[in-house]
Amino acid sequence: MATEVILPRLGQGMESGTIVRWLKSEGEPVQKGEPLFELDTDKVTQEVEAEAAGVLLKIAVPEGEVPVGQTVAFIGAEGEDVPDVPAAAPPAEASEKPLQAEEEPRTEPAPQLEGAAAADGNGRVKASPLARRLARERGIDLGAVRGTGPEGRIVAEDVERAEAGGPAAPPAAPALAPAGEVERVPLSNVRRTIARRLTEAWQIPVFQLQASADMTRVNALVARLRERDPDVRTTVTDVLTKVCGQALMRHREVNAEFTEEAILLHPSANVGLAVAAPQGLVVPVIRSAERLSLTEIAAVRADLVGRARESKLRADDLEGGTFTISNLGMYAVESFTAVLNPPQAAIVAVGATEERVVPMGSETAVRPMVTLTCTFDHRAVDGAPAAAFLQTLKESLEDPGLAL
Amino acid sequence: MPELTYREAVRDALSTAMRQDDDVFIMGEDIAEMGGSMGVTAGMLEEFGKERVRNTPISEMALAGAAIGAAMQGMRPVAEIMYEDFMTLAAEQVVNQAAKLRYMSGGQLTVPVVFRTQGGAGWSPGAQHAQQLEAWFVHIPGLKVVFASTPEDVRGLLWSAIYDDNPVVFFEHRTLYPLKGDVPQEIEPIPIGRARIHREGEDVTVIATGRLVHESLEAAEEAEGEGISVEVVDPRTLQPLDEETLVSSVKKTNRAVVAHEAVTRMGFGAEVAAVLQYQAFDWLDAPIERVGAKFSPLPFAPVMENFVVPHAAEVLAAIKRTVGKA
Repeated sequence: MATEVILPRLGQGMESGTIVRWLKSEGEPVQKGEPLFELDTDKVTQEVEAEAAGVLLKIAVPEGEVPVGQTVAFIGAEGEDVPDVPAAAPPAEASEKPLQAEEEPRTEPAPQLEGAAAADGNGRVKASPLARRLARERGIDLGAVRGTGPEGRIVAEDVERAEAGGPAAPPAAPALAPAGEVERVPLSNVRRTIARRLTEAWQIPVFQLQASADMTRVNALVARLRERDPDVRTTVTDVLTKVCGQALMRHREVNAEFTEEAILLHPSANVGLAVAAPQGLVVPVIRSAERLSLTEIAAVRADLVGRARESKLRADDLEGGTFTISNLGMYAVESFTAVLNPPQAAIVAVGATEERVVPMGSETAVRPMVTLTCTFDHRAVDGAPAAAFLQTLKESLEDPGLAL
Repeated sequence: MPELTYREAVRDALSTAMRQDDDVFIMGEDIAEMGGSMGVTAGMLEEFGKERVRNTPISEMALAGAAIGAAMQGMRPVAEIMYEDFMTLAAEQVVNQAAKLRYMSGGQLTVPVVFRTQGGAGWSPGAQHAQQLEAWFVHIPGLKVVFASTPEDVRGLLWSAIYDDNPVVFFEHRTLYPLKGDVPQEIEPIPIGRARIHREGEDVTVIATGRLVHESLEAAEEAEGEGISVEVVDPRTLQPLDEETLVSSVKKTNRAVVAHEAVTRMGFGAEVAAVLQYQAFDWLDAPIERVGAKFSPLPFAPVMENFVVPHAAEVLAAIKRTVGKA
């Protein structure tokens, strides 16, 4: 009997999705796990994989909005009969529900979280209980382990192999490429999504502004906070988050989002932190940073970053950001420009804090300096308000008391 | 070491107990002159007489009730229920009386009765004469449930069942009666509640009962040829269950297959899987596989019967799934 291809629910709030295009045509053979069609769910366009192998017998819905659970195609043996299905959903129902869904946190698979072969659609790494225990005991990050068990599950053997530092796994381990030969790394869906979104971001007209700040006082503040409360371990990033939160609320035109109809000014500064998770970049969000104390920010940040590194972020950890901090300071990068994280209107790229010789009146001094490079969406923000924002940022770092 | 068939082993346990102990007697439909529908009690009438080898009317409820009454009066009756399917007719007495009386009397009564019965597919008996209903009885507090798979086990366990002061439902498998196997010279009682490791292995534990023990051993042999080392364990007693042996085996191999001839859905294997996942959760490297009959009344047609009940091939496939070689 032909297997129905059902429009999947990619997150709890999802009621419908839009089929963008089919990657297979009718009559074409399909392997289980092969991308079948592209599905747009507001936030991401994701490839939906076939859950059965056979021939794509019929595409019931070539494109357009479809409620979750509707049959959109059939896979089966060649020449097999296919039952009739209603071509598309009644539009009324389909168009009402997504509005309601807006209010709920979307739990679409955060694409950045997938990565390793064993991750399932919800970003959870699929591993056997034994593999989990071994990884826990030996301090191995499962997100970095490739699973070779059924359905890509990480099994004990994979953890042991990862610990031994051996090749990822026999099926996955590319034989050492002969010198001079091009190695092909197949695109994961995550990679595709990142590529698509960054390409979109690149089309936004942006400009950059750069300023350097003297971090003497921030460093002193951080040192003092750590001394007072060693358990919390406040970091420079926490101060940056707080300072950005304050600056964004003072310059709300930067805490903005450009839409075709209007520019939306957000009521609070939800500051995203770009974190290098095992599978790639993730940007968990610290909400209402302007209202949190430094200690509170440190606690939230420690939780988010910790879970990001363990691949345990939930989709709502990644949502609702209004601004992003990308800090490459730990890599001895002096300064860099970051690509916008749409729909946000601004992002700040933070370089390393390094000792630089700076003029002090007629003298010179050696000071810990950091270079901030802000990228702005010019459709939403003009140069002058952007510059004012950056100046507030600089002043607040040089004299953190100003951010109070 | 003498060799007995499974059938002879059952008879040997019954006869030996009856020779040494006047309280032990057997009753059932057609067990006397006819020797039982499966020939298990053949020749016993001649040795023990009709007082102790009692033919009963064709009423399972009556014969079960009579056996329970005799047990309450201090006898150790062994009642034969011709087919496991007919246990449903005896169920009122077994479930509501035998299982409850010791508890409800505050220990004033004991019911040392054994209900021997047999079932199993493989000879085209149809839907009403081959069911595997052990899951019905393991669910009843107050009953012990045994399902032996070899001549040695069936003899040693029946002995323990006869001398247990609690009611025991004792399952035999129809197709195992002709199976030959070595048994100790003298009957060695096998404690109720102790599993048997038939074969040691490293990669997967197959927990099997009845006929499936032998199918699993065959599957293990084939798996060995493919480089998979399989441990085969027979719980032998389904209630109480030797959880310790099962769990420690799975902790060693990290993978488990549960196999029985009864339908998989809601079967005894489901309980075993639950015990394993709870006690050995952090040791499991694969989902626990279950092998059993498809959820269908047993068809008459041999080819269909063969399709519905599991064999070595199904066990082997499950073994391979656990090691990701399916």
